[in-house]
Amino acid sequence: MAGLLEIHHLCKSFDTIKVIDDFSLEVVEGTLCCLVGPNGAGKTTTMDLITGRIKPTSGKLVFAGEDITGQDEHVIARAGIGRKFQVPAVLRDLTVRQNLTVAFSRQTNPFFNLLRFNVPGLKDKLDEIATLAGLTHRLDERAGILSHGETQWLEIGMVLMQSPRLMLMDEPIAGMTEGEIEKTARIFKELRKSTTLIVVEHDMGFVREIADVVTVMHMGSLLAQGTIQQIESDPRVRDVYLGEQEAA
Amino acid sequence: MEFGSVLNALILGLSIASIWLIAALGLTIIYGAAGVINMAHGALIMLGAYSAYMLQHYVGVPYLLCIPASFVIVAVVGLILERGLIQYLYNRPLDTLLATYGVALVLVQGVRLIFGSDPKYLAVPEIFSSSFMIGSVSISTFRVIVLAVTALLVFGIWVLFYKTRFGVQVRAVMQNKEMAASFGINASRVYMLTFALGAGLAGVAGSLFGVLNIVLPTMGDSYVVQAFLMVVVGGGSLAGTIIASFASGELQSMFAFFTNDTFARFLIFVLIVVFLRFKPQGLFAKAGVRR
Amino acid sequence: MGNLYYNKTAQWIAYAAFFAALAIIPMRIDDDFLLNQLATYGVYGLLALSISLCWGFGGILNLGQGIAFGLGAYGMAMTMQMQSQTVENPIPPIMLNNGLDYLPYLWWPFQNTASGLIFALGIPTLFCAVFGRIMFKARVSGAFFAIMTLAMLSAFYTIILDQQAYTGGVNGITPPSPLRLGSFEIDPYSSVGYWVVFFALLIATVVAKLITQSSFGLVTQAIRDDAERVRFLGYSVSGYETVIYSISGFIAAIAGCLWVMLVQYVSPAQLDVGFSISMVIWAAIGGRMSLIGSIIGAFVIQGGQSYLGDAFLSTWLLFLGGFFILVVRFLPNGLASLVEAGLGLIATKSKTATSHEPNGAKPFPAE
Repeated sequence: MAGLLEIHHLCKSFDTIKVIDDFSLEVVEGTLCCLVGPNGAGKTTTMDLITGRIKPTSGKLVFAGEDITGQDEHVIARAGIGRKFQVPAVLRDLTVRQNLTVAFSRQTNPFFNLLRFNVPGLKDKLDEIATLAGLTHRLDERAGILSHGETQWLEIGMVLMQSPRLMLMDEPIAGMTEGEIEKTARIFKELRKSTTLIVVEHDMGFVREIADVVTVMHMGSLLAQGTIQQIESDPRVRDVYLGEQEAA
Repeated sequence: MEFGSVLNALILGLSIASIWLIAALGLTIIYGAAGVINMAHGALIMLGAYSAYMLQHYVGVPYLLCIPASFVIVAVVGLILERGLIQYLYNRPLDTLLATYGVALVLVQGVRLIFGSDPKYLAVPEIFSSSFMIGSVSISTFRVIVLAVTALLVFGIWVLFYKTRFGVQVRAVMQNKEMAASFGINASRVYMLTFALGAGLAGVAGSLFGVLNIVLPTMGDSYVVQAFLMVVVGGGSLAGTIIASFASGELQSMFAFFTNDTFARFLIFVLIVVFLRFKPQGLFAKAGVRR
Repeated sequence: MGNLYYNKTAQWIAYAAFFAALAIIPMRIDDDFLLNQLATYGVYGLLALSISLCWGFGGILNLGQGIAFGLGAYGMAMTMQMQSQTVENPIPPIMLNNGLDYLPYLWWPFQNTASGLIFALGIPTLFCAVFGRIMFKARVSGAFFAIMTLAMLSAFYTIILDQQAYTGGVNGITPPSPLRLGSFEIDPYSSVGYWVVFFALLIATVVAKLITQSSFGLVTQAIRDDAERVRFLGYSVSGYETVIYSISGFIAAIAGCLWVMLVQYVSPAQLDVGFSISMVIWAAIGGRMSLIGSIIGAFVIQGGQSYLGDAFLSTWLLFLGGFFILVVRFLPNGLASLVEAGLGLIATKSKTATSHEPNGAKPFPAE
């Protein structure tokens, strides 16, 4: 079975520094893959490469059988990859409702959108996602005034509004309370049934709870891949990652 | 085409380049260090010319002393401007652009109300208004002076930014304001002094342009767009502005040699747009800010 | 009860009242010269509207709107000039005075009124589409884009000045007679001229308002907020920017045509940097995020300027500059935000009377 996303021998250098060095990964449809690794391992850079924010120096990215290497961000997003950023990026001057509406991006053609005032299917989807994200009572507030946890939720909600085939979540639970983390874990497990996710996370407890597959990155390359049990018993991982955490 | 006239065009180009460069120096420093697009730069150039005119006309200061005096006067104006307005707008680049245009409007109209719209002239020592010959090429002495002053200022700025403690502070603030602050560098003070320095450089440019051209309230307008383009093409760095000014000065002169001045100007504008299509960050861009 | 400022019905009612007031004017004024002057304010209103659409809603600061305005104006002037050329006298005086004894290709499309008008509106729009595409595709935005529009404006200014035989150089073009559409002549010094401008402004405002309320309008506002983020939602940011910039340019081109229709004159002064920036000042003072605020800004500022006359021009501009600085510094959304705040105050008062719900931060104007 071919992966939904295939990363082949990806390399990225800034000037002479190799940030991503011959990184390959295959993400199977319908799984939740956690990407872990110490700071500076290249996790966020990998996300940037997948979503087209930066272009790889060499290597190939295949999504759902299509080569997406070097494509623009919006082309990759339309192909079905949604992304939540590490530092939550919502449209702060717009209301929560407007944020979710913009994210419901089935129709992206500017000329078509000029003539569109009511988006079919929007209301149901918006209600569903707002309820899921717990933002129903905040819909008409400006996104800029939301708390940190709510902002995280709004951005997750925006990704869900896109209904992508693959969701990239960069540190989704950073700054969340214990209760919010539990809720996130519950929803991610629910999402896993219908979609594919790559989650970058530091919190090993959270990873243990949600991950089907754990991929460990180190110095821009793949260090190990497997189930959480395999990873946690892998001595190499212990050295570079878990060891570091214990020391900290 | 004869060799002499090409040489003439090249030398003229160098002179044009030095004029554009000196007009753009202050802008580059202000933009490079603080990210401020100062639309009042043209008005500050004009103030420099009027400062020189006032000192010469009412006080009788010799021209050569008017140049540093213009620097001081306009730098003080810049300082007041930064403290009174710009410092509140640092994280709103478009608003700074607009507010400084408002400042330009006030300065130009203020000067017009005080001095009127009729042209003023700066007198220079006899020797400056002469010209001399190199081979078959006639060169105006004053244009050589402009070139020399420009070179001197570039050298001075280089020393200031790369060889002094203040320079280290400016570059630290440019790199990362918060980080610099944590090392005890007062970013607000650095911005203030940089702005004053940039304004002062406009003053020097004005005191020179007042001789090349007549002194008018609107004299700065014709330089400001050109100066901005040099900064944009250069990517906001000193070296970038120097190279951009040199290249476009020479190109302007060469194009003008084959067509005429106005059409050459048009060609330069078009070339710059095409250039930015392929290098939107300019020649020597700072690395893009990442999320 | 929420803040009326964001209520779409209330907004449309305000628009209706505004245009009703403008429609009463020609019925109360007999002075044809005054009517002509008021009609030119309508043209300035159109320009302010175009800036508000592009800058207030799209976040694209355009300091070179004079390009679209000027090209539209030149196209109209050329059309009107050709209308007064006859078979015996086929070459306009500009060319004859500059030693051209044939009609240059540049002028050919303007021999026919319909094609002349199409070119007068089409060329500026096409320019915006091409220039916008090049710049936005290269992700030139914000202050850099503003500087590039200034550069383009200066480029057009110099080329028009330079090509005297084709454009009339510094003197421009002065068509001898009013615009004729078929056998109907639009006398600029009559209520007809006023009504033409009135309906152009009315239609442009309604269309602009609808654009801001469409899905397209929401995406452009999202781009204004954070262009980078919007890309990852699947929208081509450069595409949206190019379209809004071109629509704005099209409106400015209409303004240019109407302006020449009213004053029968065009010169490079219409592409002067100062004029283009004053369009931005109108919108900034009136309130760039409010279409109608921008239009009113243009009316008040241009009205004040011509009321005081040339004798006080410097003093007027001095105060305008000072006021502009204050608005940018303290009221970034212009005088319209005072209306917004006022209505918000009323809403809060009536709210506290009925319930104890805390007053959350105001959402951004939906407009």
